[in-house]
Amino acid sequence: MMTSFFDQFASPSYLGIPLIAIAIALPWVLYPTPSSRWINNRLITIQGWFINRFTNQLLLPLNVGGHKWALLLASLMIFLITINMLGLLPYTFTPTTQLSLNMGFAVPLWLATVIIGMRNQPTVALGHLLPEGTPIPLIPVLIIIETISLLIRPLALGVRLTANLTAGHLLIQLIATAVFVLLPMMPTVAILTATVLFLLTLLEVAVAMIQAYVFVLLLSLYLQENV
Amino acid sequence: MRIETGATHGWALRLGLRGGYIGCLNKGTQSPVQRRFGWGSCYSPVKTCCRGWCSFQTSNPVLLVLLSLVQASRSFHQSSQSLAPVPPLPEKGGKVRHGIFPEELFTLLYPKTGVTGPYMLGTGLLLYMLSKEIYVINHETFAAASIGAVVIYGIKKFGPSVAAFADKINEDKVAKAQEVKDQAMASLAQGIEDEKKEQWRVEGRHMLFDAKRNNVAMLLETNYRERLHMVTNEVKKRLDFQVELQNLHRRMEQEHMVNWVEQSVIKSITPQQEKESIAKCIADLKVLAKTTQARATV
Repeated sequence: MMTSFFDQFASPSYLGIPLIAIAIALPWVLYPTPSSRWINNRLITIQGWFINRFTNQLLLPLNVGGHKWALLLASLMIFLITINMLGLLPYTFTPTTQLSLNMGFAVPLWLATVIIGMRNQPTVALGHLLPEGTPIPLIPVLIIIETISLLIRPLALGVRLTANLTAGHLLIQLIATAVFVLLPMMPTVAILTATVLFLLTLLEVAVAMIQAYVFVLLLSLYLQENV
Repeated sequence: MRIETGATHGWALRLGLRGGYIGCLNKGTQSPVQRRFGWGSCYSPVKTCCRGWCSFQTSNPVLLVLLSLVQASRSFHQSSQSLAPVPPLPEKGGKVRHGIFPEELFTLLYPKTGVTGPYMLGTGLLLYMLSKEIYVINHETFAAASIGAVVIYGIKKFGPSVAAFADKINEDKVAKAQEVKDQAMASLAQGIEDEKKEQWRVEGRHMLFDAKRNNVAMLLETNYRERLHMVTNEVKKRLDFQVELQNLHRRMEQEHMVNWVEQSVIKSITPQQEKESIAKCIADLKVLAKTTQARATV
């Protein structure tokens, strides 16, 4: 069979055991439980500081009702950022390149925010469909546009994450292949390409972190509107 | 449905589950306030009522089943909870060489193969895997090299500062507690100093009292003398008055007597005597006038 660049995105299984389960469980393994000690070691101190800081920052614009989501959003962020970063290692499989996983995160959470909004404050939630200060002739069109924009949100969330990571991984593979192929033929060009690969890797590290953050941030934004 | 539960997971349960205080497995360590008033229903993060334990309430059936399993598995706990002070964690992690290989490997191989042993082993393994094509060099190798370079650069550059940051967080914690302790000690020492000063003051108190006593005595003395003086003056005034009165009496008597004598003398002078005396006076005056005239012309 012909190997293609998309084989890295095939969900791995071994003897019928889906290994994606292990891949998804891996982030949980990597973060030690904070002990009930007053002074911890460096790892737990930094882990605790980061999670505290992040959650505080994320929950700043939310009112008290939204604070119920703190655990969910914080753990989602840690999960996504770990999976994304681990995916940059060679010979790894990144679960977040699978659209199914990302949609599995995006749709229920988005739908939850919408239902919470509709249930608790239906007028305010529906009022978001019409921004303030629109000229009167534009109102019907704008409502339709805003509704479409609302319904597209889960799709956007999921596809954004999938596309960014998939594209990044693909690019890395492509440019690495270019380096590999060019090395015996034109070493200087290969070195240039290797530089490009290095820069791309830096970019991918940044993208991995930013995309996870954006996912969670947008969810918190949607929550902010509705809670 | 309320459930008593506890879990030792820190972050998972400490963040944000709606916390209503239900109960704690370790009732003995609760404070009386907690036991009596509970925490009411609150939206703030779950509170820990005793070391490492969290409590929360839920109505999710799955969660209830899971939580009841926690309670049910209690029968498997053989020994009692060790609440004694746990031993301290080691200061630093295990020593590693080149970031990944534990030092124990090198120590293990040192007696047989010396210093270069592990390196030879590593090189040999690598070359074996390359030559037998167990590890095939492909595009992923370059990707691995790239990400490896990024990771190593990141660790070398930011590692020490991150470690220092973590240490600083811990040190700040300790420093805060230490400051509380130091302040308490300082205030107590200050209290001792103040007490000693008060005791010293008490010793000197008798001098103060003596001085005050002297003051008061002097005031009394002055007052007494003033009044004595005043009394003396008043008495003298009274006596002077009496003296003046007597003088007045004598004077008046004298005057009266003189007047009476004069009156009687005047009365006793007969007119004959009066004429005689007048004629004599005139003759004397004439003589006198003559002598004066004579003296004037000379």
